[in-house]
Amino acid sequence: MNFKIRAAKKDDSKDISRLIMELAVYEKMPDRVMISYKELERDGFSSNPFFQCLVAEVPEENKSKEGQGIGKSLMSKVAQVGKEKQCVRLQLLMRDWNTPSLDFYVAKGAQDLTASEGWHFLRFDGEALDKLANEASID
Amino acid sequence: MANFILRKAESKDVSDILRLIKVSKVGDMVQHFVDLLEDGFGDHPFYHCFVAEVPKDQQSSEGYTVVGFAMYYFTYDPWIGKLLYLEDFYVMEEFRGFGIGSQILKVLSETAVKTRCSSMHFIVAENNTQSIDFYKRRGASDLSLEEGWRLFAIQKEELLKITAK
Repeated sequence: MNFKIRAAKKDDSKDISRLIMELAVYEKMPDRVMISYKELERDGFSSNPFFQCLVAEVPEENKSKEGQGIGKSLMSKVAQVGKEKQCVRLQLLMRDWNTPSLDFYVAKGAQDLTASEGWHFLRFDGEALDKLANEASID
Repeated sequence: MANFILRKAESKDVSDILRLIKVSKVGDMVQHFVDLLEDGFGDHPFYHCFVAEVPKDQQSSEGYTVVGFAMYYFTYDPWIGKLLYLEDFYVMEEFRGFGIGSQILKVLSETAVKTRCSSMHFIVAENNTQSIDFYKRRGASDLSLEEGWRLFAIQKEELLKITAK
């Protein structure tokens, strides 16, 4: 299977958006996707990008075929970027029911810090965030 | 005592920030002054920081005027866009109960709203009931409990193995 891993370009935004939606459907939360390819274009490809992105691409003749080893290669490239930038570790969040992904990452040495150290992931958003920003101190 | 200011950290604050990081983290990882300075105040800042400062006449028992800090950075969620990620947040024990923590959180949320972030995310250890209550009182949701999100880490050693594959 012939494929290439490369840095994403602005033109890839529609494809990235399509893949984000596919993953959200898999996560059983497609209605939570609030941004489109336009936001990705604006936020990822300006002079001050808010994210970095790698894409996996297959040649024309391999369109729409299932791939083997692409996920592994993407992961390897991400780890390379981490190494080049002297990062001390890679962190990610996963849903507890997502066994295929859990297996994939655990096989690569990922440790569940929620299980071992009790870390919980919290969020202020929407109304809660606005309220916090507008109100005087509560204590 | 209610006299304190919150301001953006400057490179001269790095030794105080390092001191507060060491106090707030029991054991575990040790940051280095040089990394903290370069990573926060070099050409490409990897984090932003606010510090809480009291006037000289209200300094701590060891003579410090920088008594609290919050470290955050901007990150991205593929579903909702720009996020503010709160990495570290600490107020010295002798200066708690005066509203410094609340004020820091307020400034952080104002920053998030001003920079068009949809959300502010952070992690808390589940045995840190004081902090969890502090955040939940102010409307935070625990996504680990509500949606089953778990935090995973791949350490440098394992990352290097992956690059070789």
